[in-house]
Amino acid sequence: MSEEQETPQENKPIDLSKDQKPEPAPFQPWGNGPVTPPPFQQPPPFSQFGGGGFGQQNLPNATASLVLGILAIPACCFYGIFGLIFGVIAWILGAGDMKKYRFNPSLYTESSYKNAKAGKICGMIATILSALFIVMVILVIAGAIANPQMFDNFIKGLK
Amino acid sequence: MAQPQHSFLDWLGNHLFSCPFKANFGIDCPGCGLQRSVLALFKGDLIASFKFYPATIPLVFVVLFTIVHLKVDFKFGAQLIKIVFAGVAVIILINYIYKIYTHQLI
Repeated sequence: MSEEQETPQENKPIDLSKDQKPEPAPFQPWGNGPVTPPPFQQPPPFSQFGGGGFGQQNLPNATASLVLGILAIPACCFYGIFGLIFGVIAWILGAGDMKKYRFNPSLYTESSYKNAKAGKICGMIATILSALFIVMVILVIAGAIANPQMFDNFIKGLK
Repeated sequence: MAQPQHSFLDWLGNHLFSCPFKANFGIDCPGCGLQRSVLALFKGDLIASFKFYPATIPLVFVVLFTIVHLKVDFKFGAQLIKIVFAGVAVIILINYIYKIYTHQLI
């Protein structure tokens, strides 16, 4: 996962520099001679992803967001803390990438935008579930501390 | 050939992580049963897996499908992941409420 996360970030500065170069001779990105090198330099990092058109890039955190969002539910053990952390991170990364895509839709691939959106929603769901669980844990702990005897009776009653 | 695998699964069954919530308070958490369920799935027992934890099969499906989706990039992939994931969340909630009502928490 770390590789997938790093490659787009490594790629981004290169891409920005490419974008800055064409600006002196603007608005002819496909017909110009000096702009033809970028498509040759770009494919290697994208070969892992299978995506990416001409000059389009995957959103940097889309994959991470999706993976974290899905891992958040199996990670809900240990009082739901890991589920909450994973879910919130997935939510933030997904939302940030969606903002990036809206700011400049032509720069990024649509499939990675969909992935980021799915990651954000999965993160939201996992966050809500973990939050519910954490509220329950806090209630149980509070009940056990406030009135241990009643808690024991409650447990016996459940049996 | 099958013998060492079988014993490995048995060994795994005796070395699962114990739930800290259950250990401290004696009540099942919403994730309890997931490991037993995955183990039953490894043994090929779908029904036992469903009985331990109904959300396991869709959850495993989502995880595997996400791995494939990130490699192959299906058009409908993100949408399907979202739908199945929401389904998993609903199954977990319903399962937990059902456990509370039928006194299976302990």
